[in-house]
Amino acid sequence: MKRILIAGAALLYLGFLAVLGGAYYIGLKQAAAWPPREDGRAIADKDLPKVTRNVQQIERRMSALLPRGLYIVIDTAENRLYLKNGTDIVRTAVVSCGSGVVLEESGGKNRSWVFDTPRGEFSVKSKITNPYWVKPDWAFIEEGEAIPKGLEERIEAGTLGDYALGFGEGYFIHGTLYTRLLGRNVTHGCVRVGDEDLKAVFKAVPLGA
Amino acid sequence: MRKPAGLAILMTIGLALAGGAAPGDKAALAKKQNSLNSEYALAKESQFYFVLDVLGRKLELRVRGMVLRSWPLQSMRFWGKPEFSGNVELVRKTTLKAPQRIVIKPGGEEKAAPAPAPADKPAAANAAPANPAEFELEALELKDMPKRFSLDFDNGLHVTVRSENAGSGGLLRGLGEAWGWYVYLPLRNLFGRGEGKGLSELELIFDGDKDAQAIYWHFFDGIKGIIL
Repeated sequence: MKRILIAGAALLYLGFLAVLGGAYYIGLKQAAAWPPREDGRAIADKDLPKVTRNVQQIERRMSALLPRGLYIVIDTAENRLYLKNGTDIVRTAVVSCGSGVVLEESGGKNRSWVFDTPRGEFSVKSKITNPYWVKPDWAFIEEGEAIPKGLEERIEAGTLGDYALGFGEGYFIHGTLYTRLLGRNVTHGCVRVGDEDLKAVFKAVPLGA
Repeated sequence: MRKPAGLAILMTIGLALAGGAAPGDKAALAKKQNSLNSEYALAKESQFYFVLDVLGRKLELRVRGMVLRSWPLQSMRFWGKPEFSGNVELVRKTTLKAPQRIVIKPGGEEKAAPAPAPADKPAAANAAPANPAEFELEALELKDMPKRFSLDFDNGLHVTVRSENAGSGGLLRGLGEAWGWYVYLPLRNLFGRGEGKGLSELELIFDGDKDAQAIYWHFFDGIKGIIL
């Protein structure tokens, strides 16, 4: 009985190894066949000029999509702002982007805000000097303060630095008092920039960029 | 006058011979046309998209044909027959321990730690760390992103992304990963073929932790891309 069991276990193990070997053989064959070879029969000789023209046309269309002049790229992961012209980096700035925190309002309204810097393609919609902050509701809720009824109670000067560039939906690239936290994700969605870099970017970048 | 005519004939013959491109060139041109067509469809949408250049060993995040970030691959391995044609869309991003957002609910039930509070006034010199990187913030940052995660695409392709260091997690974990790659996947590839379900498993390994973490950060659900 014992011998039968041992023999059975051995056969089972050998069978498993055989199956695994077969699986490896198939895997290796697949790996050898990749990447798939193209023997050039995809393009007939008579179609070659047409395909070449087509490729050149698509390349021209791709080039036409690239931004003209100066533009800004913000890396929210690394907290870096790049002022670019074509593929050249004109200036690099250390910035602060959104913290990713979620603020939930307790009480009746049950509103919530996610403090992310939005991703995507935007354009500079406004350029403001000596901006003042019109505090939104979340700024009071976050501090546990009552939401004021009058506009004048929302206005706070001096916290956004000397310049601000708006890129839509209430988001701005602006200055900051908290320069020690540049390079970290600490904001409520806006992009905070140091004074010198902000001035350079503000002067260089036109509306619509 | 015969010399210029002779030269012209020779040039014509030369051009005719050059016009017959080698099969390798035609294949490369065909591939270039396909990849440009796929990329243009994404680039004109002005949305972020990715390009995984398998032979070029790099993964790039692009918009409008412009490279925003480029991450070179340290190594790559695969099982099955990964299909690399056309556009793909990320369906799901999974990891063992996904980074959690801090949730603040002032005045109600506390769900999480307090919101990050930037320093209003300078603290005592010996209390505040000099380096901003040392501040412990309750925010979602790059360093909170996982170093090992999976990406599932709409064409059935399953990509595991990890940094080189993410593979080392103790003996048990190493054994588990080795079992998964060298036993489970080959068997799944073998039996899946019989059922008509091909396996398409790709593992991308990046040099530094930050590369893998940045990919997790930038790859959102629904991002489209092409795999060359």
